[in-house]
Amino acid sequence: MRFVWFWTFWHWSKESFRDGVLLRSPLQGVGGHWDEWFRHEASENDLRAIEQVGRAESTQREFAAWLFRHWAPEASLGGNRMIPRFVLGQLAQLPPFNRWPAFDECRARYGVEGISAIVLGADSKGEAEDVRRVEALALPADGGPSVVPEGFQADPGELEVLRRAVGSLLRGKGLLLFLALWAGRGRRPYPRWIKVIIGLGWCTTAGLILYLLIGPDPGDRLATLSATLLALWGGLVLLAILVTCRQVIAAWRAGRCWSDLLQRSEVRLRMDGGLTLKGESAGFAFSLNTLLSLYRADPRSARGSWLWQRIFRKLCTDAKLWAATGVVTAGGELKSVVLEPKFRACLQRTDIEYILTPNQRDARQKAIDGSIEEIGSIKREKARARLPGMRTEWGFAEEKPRLQSFRCRHIAHSLMIFGGFRSVWQNVMSSLAVIVSGVVLFGLPDLFYLLAPPPAPRVVAPSSSSPYYLWVSLDTKTPTRFQVVLESDYWSNRRVKVGAQRGANVPARAEILLRRLPAPAGKEDNATIWVERRFRFLTREYAPGERVGRYSLAYLTQLDHE
Amino acid sequence: MKDDIPIELLLRWRFARAESEAPPAPRAARLIAEARPWWETWPERFQSLVERLGRVQIAYGHAMTEPSNPRTGYPVTAVIDHDGQELETFVSVLYFAIRERRFCFRFHLTAALRPPVESFETTFISKDGFSPLLSGQATRSVDNEYRVDLQVSDELARKWDGLKVTDHMPFRLILRSGSSINDG
Repeated sequence: MRFVWFWTFWHWSKESFRDGVLLRSPLQGVGGHWDEWFRHEASENDLRAIEQVGRAESTQREFAAWLFRHWAPEASLGGNRMIPRFVLGQLAQLPPFNRWPAFDECRARYGVEGISAIVLGADSKGEAEDVRRVEALALPADGGPSVVPEGFQADPGELEVLRRAVGSLLRGKGLLLFLALWAGRGRRPYPRWIKVIIGLGWCTTAGLILYLLIGPDPGDRLATLSATLLALWGGLVLLAILVTCRQVIAAWRAGRCWSDLLQRSEVRLRMDGGLTLKGESAGFAFSLNTLLSLYRADPRSARGSWLWQRIFRKLCTDAKLWAATGVVTAGGELKSVVLEPKFRACLQRTDIEYILTPNQRDARQKAIDGSIEEIGSIKREKARARLPGMRTEWGFAEEKPRLQSFRCRHIAHSLMIFGGFRSVWQNVMSSLAVIVSGVVLFGLPDLFYLLAPPPAPRVVAPSSSSPYYLWVSLDTKTPTRFQVVLESDYWSNRRVKVGAQRGANVPARAEILLRRLPAPAGKEDNATIWVERRFRFLTREYAPGERVGRYSLAYLTQLDHE
Repeated sequence: MKDDIPIELLLRWRFARAESEAPPAPRAARLIAEARPWWETWPERFQSLVERLGRVQIAYGHAMTEPSNPRTGYPVTAVIDHDGQELETFVSVLYFAIRERRFCFRFHLTAALRPPVESFETTFISKDGFSPLLSGQATRSVDNEYRVDLQVSDELARKWDGLKVTDHMPFRLILRSGSSINDG
């Protein structure tokens, strides 16, 4: 077996921990444990084998690869992919690895790109060095602090706050806010052609509503149009609900997995410079890096969630282009910070293209553009000052620095930005869908009765005791869906809507004013009363529908009076 | 210049010259003084540091929000004497082993000194009587971790045998950096 000496060390470390000789777990204390073992516990054979491996860079690299491929899976450390990186990073600082060229890359960083924090040095007005790379690793906890700073000092209470903010983003109000933002106006996981079809669907629905409201009377096609409108709207809403629910559930499940992982983890935040942090404006960058570290430790949890995959794919590939500043509360809200020197610092870095800030007035792009001008003039002054004696006319052909700011009220807003969920198309479609759905929901009873008309009513008592009025009382629960028509050669013809009456057990009725024609023909009783259906949709009244009852005036007047 | 001088003669000449240039051997009294532990050489300084150490009292208040973790260990009180300044701090015991009178001790210094001190003269002070137990160099390992490797007496080895890193330590520490050692 190759590298058996590492297994010897590892088992010594485990046994010593079990016996209470070592305080830290074999993983958390791997650096110190190795130092102890290598200096005082390793046998002659072990030292010789280590020296042999260290002789050539190729064997050094083999050892590093072996740690990833063989040791980490076999050491029963829970499948966390960041563990070998951490071990390599820790070992690289110690003899004999600190002399191995193959470990040079691991010495300064863990090799996990993160979002930069902007931490101004003492008396700095915004220099390139103030934009500091942050790396975060989530490792199995061993009972120590939940967030461990490396390379800087910070108040443990402040670090605990950002851990809680991340917890909220994975399984709390933060997640709810993010899902609500996405459901409201976020890009959907459809291919382009489906997106176009859905867009057309909503436009058609809106068109149908407009046609029904202000178009020509559809006549016999009213039921067909109503059915089409209802089916189309129902289909679109159902699709939207299904897709949204599926994504929400998948995101919630993945968030729950990472939240549990966060509870079981110790997050190590690495930021070089040896600073003692005063103020909490690095909290935003630390939170986002903590989130990223959880994904890197367990990327499998994101498999079912399109939302998280999209966010983390972007974060993993582009994190080095981003910087963030803002004070994060335990609930994930962002508080204002000083921005001007931070913009200046970012503008002096060619590798930083985007900055996340709290939602404050001086975070607008205009403020950045002002800083760009200022930086340009400072650079030109510096260039002239470098060679004061030379009469040189400088030609400044350098590219203008670029920096785009994104303002966030809550850490959840940054997820919308990273995932690229902001979409004008989706905004328009969502607004249209909300308006259309509102209209359809208001008109839903009308549409329902258009498709399934209520049963035909019977005429019942009472009739009017007044000779000037004819009451047509109907035993129906939907009086507004009917109207009554008086047709006669003696009386003025009238069409009257049926209305509900106050009082218990008083049937709905239509009250027809009886007025004799100027030149009446025939007898007084010679009149027919029709009951016919009313069709309407919101404010629009359509042509009368089917006649469902026919009564003579004589019959109606002989019914019981009130 | 003659170039046929035998090498033996040349060596003898060089040896004689080195002897004449060498500083005189230290006097016995000075050797004895140098072999004495620092607390005997500078008793007032020692007394002052011990008094300072004695003033630091740790009282554990268990106001935990999570279940107790038996592996956190107990901090050991320490006084750092560095650059003429005294700093009260704590150290976490990371490694504690005694094998055949060899005492291996490793600790993490809570206070972050900038720049980091590469080695401290570490004096173990008994917790009960505040008397010095032993002393030796603690050299920096990784981060803020320091390591001590000392020979201890049979009595101390017997007394400390079986102690675990998670136990209360029967000593406190005085850590003196190089600059303070020279100043007494």
